[in-house]
Amino acid sequence: MHRAAYTDPTLFEREQERIFRRAWLYVGHESEVAKPGDHIRTRLGPDEVILARREDGGLSLLHNRCAHRGARVVSEPSGQARQLRCPYHAWSYRLDGSLIGVPLADGYSPDRRLPGLDAVPRVESYRGFIFASHAASGASLFDFLGGLRSAFDNLVDRAPAGTLTRFGGSLRLEYRGNWKMFLENAVDLVHPGFVHKSSVDAARAHPEALTADAVTQQAAQMFLANGMRATQWDDVPLHAFPGGHIYMGGFYKQGIIAAEREDAVFARYRKALVERHGEEKTAAVLSVDRFNNLIWPNISVNARFGVMRIVRPLAVDHTVVDVVCFQLDGAPPEMHELTLQFVNLAASPASLVASDDLEIFERCQRGLATPGNEWIDMSRGVLVDQRQADGATVSRGTSELPMRHQFETWKSWMGL
Amino acid sequence: MNEVEAFVLREARLLDEQRYVEWLELFADDALYWIPTRAKQESPQEALSIIYEPRSLLAVRVERLARREMHVQSPPSRTVHHVSAIEVNGDEARSALIVAEWRTGEARWFAGRVTHKLRKGANGLRIILKRVDLIDGEAPHRAIAVPL
Repeated sequence: MHRAAYTDPTLFEREQERIFRRAWLYVGHESEVAKPGDHIRTRLGPDEVILARREDGGLSLLHNRCAHRGARVVSEPSGQARQLRCPYHAWSYRLDGSLIGVPLADGYSPDRRLPGLDAVPRVESYRGFIFASHAASGASLFDFLGGLRSAFDNLVDRAPAGTLTRFGGSLRLEYRGNWKMFLENAVDLVHPGFVHKSSVDAARAHPEALTADAVTQQAAQMFLANGMRATQWDDVPLHAFPGGHIYMGGFYKQGIIAAEREDAVFARYRKALVERHGEEKTAAVLSVDRFNNLIWPNISVNARFGVMRIVRPLAVDHTVVDVVCFQLDGAPPEMHELTLQFVNLAASPASLVASDDLEIFERCQRGLATPGNEWIDMSRGVLVDQRQADGATVSRGTSELPMRHQFETWKSWMGL
Repeated sequence: MNEVEAFVLREARLLDEQRYVEWLELFADDALYWIPTRAKQESPQEALSIIYEPRSLLAVRVERLARREMHVQSPPSRTVHHVSAIEVNGDEARSALIVAEWRTGEARWFAGRVTHKLRKGANGLRIILKRVDLIDGEAPHRAIAVPL
């Protein structure tokens, strides 16, 4: 791939139009707009929108821009209201966007039909996760998610009550680098041993951390897991689905971060899950050990830890990442605490792990701005990738398959 | 100057002088260092935190700060912790904090209010809780590598 994919502002504009104004993008979770009148301010690609639960129970996604003079209608992050009223000249709207009324209505010509808030044409939900698309037609959300619907299935199936609730607010990361770097790095299994060496070594120097309080134990186990040898990373499977989605397998094998834990809290949780699913399905749900599930183009889901990262491109060299958590309804509260602590440690801008990733993205951006080697090599593992009969490609952990797959998908959406 | 006030000022200076091991020694064994994301956040269970670390974990953070392979501190930051408006109430201090940070040609700043809860022991005052409430805890941040 040419370095321009990360640095050229005209390619960035093309990405906004061809990818972020066409693809299905995540806009929120059903638990955030549970009751009629609930609404949140969110983003659909480059555009700010209002996601609202209507009186009839349906969902609306409206441009957050008054149909009169263009003022932002909703400025709080969330609210509960039967109607939305613009603060400028008090045009008011129903939650489906239609206009209720305007002041001094008799000042308009009788044949003048005043507009309402513009709605985004397609909004669909899959197991509580709400996506939208600026494109009026195209594949359904179900087909778009394709084989990686399994990421959401596994996350929801982990909840003993069968539902999730978003909780804990969010952590927000920012870096001066291209948005694609974050997603490439999320399934890159060669970097941890180098980029995260300082946190691996620091944890090794403090073996007592492994027997300290639960927060410290979890952190130490997480830091140490990044210190595997290159050959061990090869045992982590990579799976690339048609449509651009990718998952990597799990690599947390010990302690409270392992897939199958043996502590008292987990035993209580497992019992609740068996009551819902029965023993066989519970064992199947819990045995799914994946780390990051990447849904094209811009989200990463970790079902085991109930966390989602939404990558938001601001400019060719500027990105924000929102990190949000989901609680497994019906699970012991200690499970939710562990989720929050895991996310603090793994995803905060002050994380001993993530801070070095952010530094590397900024160094890549600086480097790529410089001419020299114009072409980026991403051919490692090309000889070991295996195409399956169902159209997916699988490989071993150290292959650069994910990057090749992301760029193939990118080229197709970009029309290049 | 009040002993508590002097302690708070010294704590900030140790960070600016990158004397992280001495800084860590100011924390009691049961201490907590906390930077919440939400204004008036009551507990780490309520919401995510930028940092929520018992001393045992803070020790790992300080250990990392001494390592050359800590890419986000290569080269290291230079900081000024400007502490003012200190109000002392027994072993507790509240203050206003502005941190200016310069690294690799760029400057940025953080602002917030700090709560120190201290305990007097055989070795003098020690921190039980240092809580930093940033004015923009919920906003996007670039990598935060040195303690605030």
